[in-house]
Amino acid sequence: MKLRDSGYGVALSVPGLVILLLWVLIPFSYVFYISFLRYDNMSPVIPTGLANYREVLEDPSLPIILIRTFIFSFGSTGLTLLISVILAVCLNRIVKGSAFFRSLVVMPWAVPLILSGFLWAWMFHPSFGPISDLLMKVKLISEPLNIYKKPSTAMAGVIIADAWRRIPFLTIITLAGFQSIPPNLYEAAKVDGADSFHTFQYVSLPLASRPMLIGTLITLMFSFRSIDVIYSMTPGGGYAKSTYVLGAYLFDYMYEFLNFGLAASASVILIILTFAIGAFFIYYTLKKG
Amino acid sequence: MRRVLVKIVDHRATPYVVLGVITLFMISPFIWMGLSAFKTHAETFRYPPTYFPENFTLDTMYEAWYKAPIPTYLKNSLIMCLISTFIIVVAGTFTGYALSQYQYKGSNMVLGLFLFTRTIPPLALLLPYYLVLMKLGLLNTRLAVVFYLIYLSYPLVVWLLKGFFDQFPRALIDSAIVDGCSRTGAIFRIVIPVAATGVYAIAVVAFMWAWNEFFAPFLFIHYDELKPITVGLYYFVGDEYTYYNRMCAAGIYAVIPSLIFFLLAQKYIVRGLTSGALKY
Repeated sequence: MKLRDSGYGVALSVPGLVILLLWVLIPFSYVFYISFLRYDNMSPVIPTGLANYREVLEDPSLPIILIRTFIFSFGSTGLTLLISVILAVCLNRIVKGSAFFRSLVVMPWAVPLILSGFLWAWMFHPSFGPISDLLMKVKLISEPLNIYKKPSTAMAGVIIADAWRRIPFLTIITLAGFQSIPPNLYEAAKVDGADSFHTFQYVSLPLASRPMLIGTLITLMFSFRSIDVIYSMTPGGGYAKSTYVLGAYLFDYMYEFLNFGLAASASVILIILTFAIGAFFIYYTLKKG
Repeated sequence: MRRVLVKIVDHRATPYVVLGVITLFMISPFIWMGLSAFKTHAETFRYPPTYFPENFTLDTMYEAWYKAPIPTYLKNSLIMCLISTFIIVVAGTFTGYALSQYQYKGSNMVLGLFLFTRTIPPLALLLPYYLVLMKLGLLNTRLAVVFYLIYLSYPLVVWLLKGFFDQFPRALIDSAIVDGCSRTGAIFRIVIPVAATGVYAIAVVAFMWAWNEFFAPFLFIHYDELKPITVGLYYFVGDEYTYYNRMCAAGIYAVIPSLIFFLLAQKYIVRGLTSGALKY
């Protein structure tokens, strides 16, 4: 007996679907389940209804943690987008040396985020790091710059370390978007008297907007939910908890306080908030271009 | 004003100048890491800092390799990443191929499910994974991390492979089948050989994700002899001070394998990622 093509498709997908079920959907459901339990590793595990959620949502530090999470993720994504677009425009314009520059700027992609945090932490070190020293040498600052002693600069530091690692991906996506634009459109714009700014605004940007938008949303989701850089650069959330984001809060409940119930409800909140960004990602991905 | 700006922007040298500046920013941590790995411990704590190592020494690279279990860490990373990548890519190839070439009732829903899965924060699933692995008695095994790594990049890989197979010329498959090849035979004889570079590129992406993962092995493994290199970097973080020079040396060891894989596959990765991103 021979399967019809659609049946063959099902048969081929089965191993993949089993993995999806076992590896993703079951843990995903399980975290919801734990979030309704009192599971603090001190007293017996019992169902508590919404108590964990109440405790997290009534935590007076939650609003500021959420604000920091948004500043961190939007800051990192904004910086990534800005530099990626500049890089992509430049790489798209040159012929000689293009592959050379591209290979160099995508190198951070291969660096673990945790290492990126360590490296930037040290580069920003007020005494032993090069950044403060170089800024003093060119007389931009008069005394060593300690970014860790001020909430805004500490945040800027982790944003730079995070964006540094994310720029390669968005650069590649944006560059591919620019390169998919037929060259005759540029020529037509030039004939019509458009200068470089016009062509960028009316040709490059609109025609490459779809991959750029999807790439940006992916970057936003990733920086919203990852804490590697924050964890290695400013352990414990840094000075005055200035870089303490939702993911770090979740991780502390799980790893430091061993309160699994609360950690699970914080996880669910992180899932929901990430999905608020992810919904746009899904929508624009599925929308036929 | 605008005229002047246009003139500056349009100048032939402008992109090179801008690229030069940004490239310097992008490679500065590599330069700093590369220079520091050849400094002595004392020199890394000098104020003001030195740039080029004053006493160029290979001891740091040597100590990091022999006094810390760096070779073991690298071996563990390689084992975990290769096994998980292999499983992901094999399962993902068939699923992605089916979703692309043999659509069935509900295949779009499955595709949507994969897309949705990509929005789940891995951080939020660490806890359920930890508890399940504990119940299975798998904590403190490499297998635990392999389990988690499969979850980590599987949805992405299926999605990228599906986008990649969408561009595969269907006529090639059909003509093979007309010539008497079975559908499965066509996969092994036609599709995989032709698509090898793309599958390879996507495998490298999955490998790099696995290689860079920190929190899962950090939580699941407490024995030094089982830790991967990302967790191993913490070996040099002490209570009193951090051995920055050795950490840089270890960082170099940690980056080299994935950087080599990545640079070799760069061309295909660019194509693989963008075929997925541009043509859904």
